[in-house]
Amino acid sequence: MIHFLEISNHALFYYYLASNLSYLIMLIIAVKTSAAHQRRLESSMPGWIKRSPLVPPITILAPAHNEEKSISVAMRNLLDLDYAELEVIVINDGSTDATLEVMQREFGLRPVRAVYVPQAMSAPVRGLYRSDVDPRLMVVDKEPGGSKADAVNAGLNAASSPYVCVVDADSVLERDALLRIMMPVLADPKRVVCVGGIVRVLNGSEIEAGRIRRVRLPRKSIETIQVVEYLRAFLIGREAWAQGNMLTIISGAFGVFRTDLVRALGGYRSHAIGEDFDLVARLHRYLREKGADYRIHFVPDPVCWTEVPSDLQSLGRQRARWQKGLLDVLWPNRDMLFRPRYGRIGCFALPYLWLFELLAPVIELAGILTIVMAASLGALSREFFIQFLIFGYAFATVISIGAVLQEELTYKRYNDWQDVIRLVSYCFLEHFPYRQLHMVWRLQGLWQYLRGDVVWRPMKRQGLRSPATD
Amino acid sequence: MEFAFEILRKLNPAALVLKAILVAIVADSLLLAYILLRRTYRKRYFAKRDARLLELRQKWDALISGEIPYETWRKSPSDRRLVETIVLDAFEIAGPQESARLLRFLRASGLIEKRIFGARQHRGWRRHRALVALGRMRAPEGIPALAEGLRDRALETRLAALRGLGRMACPEAAEEILIWVGESGLVVPEFPLQSALVQCCAERPQALLPYLKHAQGAVREVLGRVLGEVATPSLGADLLQFVDDDLDELRAAAARALSHAEPGMAIDVLSELTQDPVWFVRLRAVVSLGKLGHVNTIPVLLRGLTDSNRLVRLRAAEGLVGFRTEMVQIFEKTVATQDRYGFYGYLTALENAGLQGKLEAELKATTRISKQEQAVLLEVLRTGALPVAQPVSPDIAMSAVASRS
Repeated sequence: MIHFLEISNHALFYYYLASNLSYLIMLIIAVKTSAAHQRRLESSMPGWIKRSPLVPPITILAPAHNEEKSISVAMRNLLDLDYAELEVIVINDGSTDATLEVMQREFGLRPVRAVYVPQAMSAPVRGLYRSDVDPRLMVVDKEPGGSKADAVNAGLNAASSPYVCVVDADSVLERDALLRIMMPVLADPKRVVCVGGIVRVLNGSEIEAGRIRRVRLPRKSIETIQVVEYLRAFLIGREAWAQGNMLTIISGAFGVFRTDLVRALGGYRSHAIGEDFDLVARLHRYLREKGADYRIHFVPDPVCWTEVPSDLQSLGRQRARWQKGLLDVLWPNRDMLFRPRYGRIGCFALPYLWLFELLAPVIELAGILTIVMAASLGALSREFFIQFLIFGYAFATVISIGAVLQEELTYKRYNDWQDVIRLVSYCFLEHFPYRQLHMVWRLQGLWQYLRGDVVWRPMKRQGLRSPATD
Repeated sequence: MEFAFEILRKLNPAALVLKAILVAIVADSLLLAYILLRRTYRKRYFAKRDARLLELRQKWDALISGEIPYETWRKSPSDRRLVETIVLDAFEIAGPQESARLLRFLRASGLIEKRIFGARQHRGWRRHRALVALGRMRAPEGIPALAEGLRDRALETRLAALRGLGRMACPEAAEEILIWVGESGLVVPEFPLQSALVQCCAERPQALLPYLKHAQGAVREVLGRVLGEVATPSLGADLLQFVDDDLDELRAAAARALSHAEPGMAIDVLSELTQDPVWFVRLRAVVSLGKLGHVNTIPVLLRGLTDSNRLVRLRAAEGLVGFRTEMVQIFEKTVATQDRYGFYGYLTALENAGLQGKLEAELKATTRISKQEQAVLLEVLRTGALPVAQPVSPDIAMSAVASRS
């Protein structure tokens, strides 16, 4: 028993080392890629694309459920985006508040009989509306489908452009977001099938008429820690995975997809818990099985800002849901693991997700239990244990500070000295007790999934308001 | 399993962990120090730079006119960069007169020469930067240096040169791009190449034709698309040679370009292209027919309403809605096709154009059809449901449409 505990503690050390080393490698790749990207931006001139007659049309799909407070501002923002050929479809997903009435009042909606081909499964559509104020705006009013996927599918059925851009109605997009996210498509339209944009934390920033006036760090610790997490996930993780064409997730808050491909897949899986991850996984499978030469890109320029949970309960629910979503996608796709047919996705990306994302909370829990057992049996080397803790802490901090550095070197959106100092401080503070809480939430998610509890629980939102105006 | 345990034991993590801690702490400290020092340095640098920028802006007119000798600022690299930045930013929003004044200044002060030198002599990102600046200057004497940049080994440098030439928007720049594409093939992404060519060939699209004849593969596709974009009625019959091309893209481009041709010639050709096996060729043909806006295109557009591709149907419907004086007849014929998708496509286009009320009023006022037919059509328009009819094959429906038209 003691021998087993000793070995398992050592195995845990190597697991952490491997996990952090893989992140370190990603950090190096990301820094290199971002530097090149910054230089490329010098001559890319998004303004030129704005006026070009050659850009392909895009339909923005924005599902909305009980968004009466913010829908009007959100729609105006979407219609104000810089892009030559734009259509905006807002899907009113069975709202029980006045979302539809607000839209009708603000945008002069009138019922139309637009072409709606139900290629992707969704709950029945009640009506289609077109705006008199801006004919680029269409509203699909549908029965509640119980998921974002269901709502997006309804929009997909009504979309008439070769590309669709899926956004959250409550996210804030930068004015040139579409131009930037379409750059990889324009550079290589035959191979690029979808592009993900970076999603950043909106909480704390000053907002005016639905647009960000000044980027600031949130005041609450729980929100600031999420800023560090988002920087790490997007500026390091996704940037590096995309470099190897192994991106397995495109955030549901902002992503562009080739319409024909999404339709060929039957749209989003309505009952998927993590519909965004599920769609990209199915895209990889579909294209790999067809032997297609394709690319899935990521655009790291700051483009989409979204509100993150500001209380522990909502955050816990969100993280549990993400973990459920992960299992919900990885388990049905387990046949892709280590199969040469699925290339890098099957050999690297998915095994990584299994080992360092899905199983991470289980391994962490097992690690804690074995350490406790070893301590109680007197088999724990205190010296090694303390060293191990210090190592884990210091190494994980390197990665977090690396993410902040990446932000500093490239996009530098937090201009205030105070913000940077706080951001760096949270790189040190996030490890206790946030990480342990995170582990518990993820374990909860796995447990809920195994029990069949996949009900979506809403999070509290502040909406598109500036904390400065509160 | 025992074997794995043995390996772990031999690796002796206890010995490794101390070293790992040390490395991690050093890395943390270095990263932190770098972030803080960089911030401090940049803060000072930008404060100094902004102050100097303000100073230069305050004496801008004297600077531009040469009243302040160029040598006083040209020798300082930072001042030179600042002046160049101000001029290039001003260029973006300048009218023709101001542009000419700025260009004179760039020439007289030697800034263009400096950038031409940089574009020819430097390598890597320095060359890239010189090419970007040269492109923004839009000075014709920069064209040869930009053309040399097209032959650089680095993709980003080639792109900078290409975009620079695109900004020139003149036939000379187009000539350089076309010669280079002919020599090296497609060694840059399609979009920037197309954009640059569209800008440069707009004045003289004929320049494309000889290159298009001899181009192969992907280059041919790109040139075809550019032709489709920049074609003018002056190209006339030259476009017909591409209508039967093996390349789908080129047929589509010809279809697109024919929207600028004489209707008498274009309608027959476009009508043939609406039956092309490739959907986007049909789409282009239908869009062009809509743009021609000639009554003879109505039967072809009506056939487009029953196309197998939804985009073709939608565009055909949009084209049909453009005929404001024949709305009743078109609606009648659309209903006669008994094609539900086509019919909805037409209603969508009608509603998007806000013309449903107008059609209803015209239907009520028309004396061309019987009262019974009138009532049926009004009911169809109000309910959006096709009248119950015996199943009609598309051929019969189309022949009915054709005979009425």
